[in-house]
Amino acid sequence: MTGSSERGSSGTRAAATQHVVCPEDDLPPGGRVIVELEGRSIGVFNVDGRYYALRNVCPHRGAPLCLGTIGGTMLPSDPKQYHYGLDRGVLRCPWHGWEIELESGRAVFDPVGTRVKTYPVSIVDGAVVVEL
Amino acid sequence: MTVDSSTEARPASPAPATKIQLVDCDVHPFIPQGVRTLAPYLSRSWRKRIFGHPGELPPQGGLLGGQLTVPSNQIYVNPAGLMRRDAYPEDGGMPGSDPDLVVEQLFEACDVDRAVMFLPQFPGILSLPDPDMAAAIASACNEWLLEQWLQHDSRFRAMMIVAPQDPDAAAAEIDRIGDRPGIVGVHVPMLNILMGERHFYPIYEAAQRHELPIGIHPNGVDGVHQRAAAFAGGNPTYYVEWHTSISQIFQGNVTSLVAHGVFERFPRLKLLAAEGGFAWLADVMWRFDKNWAGLRDEVPWVKRPPSEYILDHVRFTTQPFIEPSRREHLEVMLDIVGAERTLLFSSDYPHWDFDDPGRLLRSLPTGLRARVAAESALELFGDRLL
Repeated sequence: MTGSSERGSSGTRAAATQHVVCPEDDLPPGGRVIVELEGRSIGVFNVDGRYYALRNVCPHRGAPLCLGTIGGTMLPSDPKQYHYGLDRGVLRCPWHGWEIELESGRAVFDPVGTRVKTYPVSIVDGAVVVEL
Repeated sequence: MTVDSSTEARPASPAPATKIQLVDCDVHPFIPQGVRTLAPYLSRSWRKRIFGHPGELPPQGGLLGGQLTVPSNQIYVNPAGLMRRDAYPEDGGMPGSDPDLVVEQLFEACDVDRAVMFLPQFPGILSLPDPDMAAAIASACNEWLLEQWLQHDSRFRAMMIVAPQDPDAAAAEIDRIGDRPGIVGVHVPMLNILMGERHFYPIYEAAQRHELPIGIHPNGVDGVHQRAAAFAGGNPTYYVEWHTSISQIFQGNVTSLVAHGVFERFPRLKLLAAEGGFAWLADVMWRFDKNWAGLRDEVPWVKRPPSEYILDHVRFTTQPFIEPSRREHLEVMLDIVGAERTLLFSSDYPHWDFDDPGRLLRSLPTGLRARVAAESALELFGDRLL
């Protein structure tokens, strides 16, 4: 299994570049846009007013991850018990169902070894801005 | 015996002073006259119920005795004969019916130090519609094993058997005799209920309480008796077909145990899959891990890649050993299935497809021989082998 080990916080990068993605009004709650920034396909999401940006490549087989559905999942539990959690915090790959936590980019089944690159998102002067 | 200390975390092996260098994990005693032989080990009430007569020697061909036999599992007819031809005792009995001949052919001729016995006739009880009768016959089988075999030679060990139709009765039987000297595990005949299901949990709980591994073995009645495990797609017609396909039932049960979180619920439980093959692990583990990566939220109690549960909790016997035409294929397969931890020697004495331990062990890479011959068995069965 190949996993991204890149770090997702802009604070660790020397020279982050800010990219305006779209006007704030074009990304309402529940919305998403797929953009290409610096040659990379990136999905930007507004989930209930919280913004996320992730690399649009699944670490499993390279699928367009950001076309997947957003929802929750069953947390690790004792046998025969279901505990729903991470509500609207998980992006599920459209190909093979890998679950990626929006916040961290980490795969639910392998949070240590499998990770998708995430990027900081902010609203600057009414625009959605992603830092690379 | 040397223990490779560089191998990562596994339970400490018993002291090398035990001198147990070869454990045969699948040896078969034979109940000469089926349930008639067991009559002295049944209660008067059960003798009356089964034979129509409460005495210890039920009448030959009696009204009921003539109908009920264990073995009732000789359904597929082996054209080579089910038994090794040189294993018939001089008294004309069946191979595996004379403990002295087993001692001679296994302990003396093959240098086996411990023989773990499965009773392959027993799954005939899966045909019984009465779970209480099945449980009574199971208890009688266990008493017969204890008296006729375990007391005969200190090198015999037995997988006690339980009738899985009634899991609470099976658990009670484990509590009754699970700690008797010579008992090393619990043989659970495979039902038409996959082993991950709740039906079996009282059995697993009792087995774990007594630190006894569960054992499974081809039933012989698979797909035939109504309550026996079924083959995928339908019943095989020929013995060669049955014998080749039997591993699919093992695959289904191992997959079920992991999917239902049985090893999370019973973290000390171990399974010994005897005579069910092991090369299929490559496909099952890869397929299972791949599926789990995308589907884990259906079974969120499966917290680790499924293959890890298999490698940690399930052990496999060698016989009938795979014989690929290219040796490097064997070595790759042994590596894939984690043979150093998972594979335990078995001969299947006295059956036709017996594997001679000397030849078998010499066919393995040198670093695996001591592991397969005894060390992994000592880890599975612990002090009960000493």
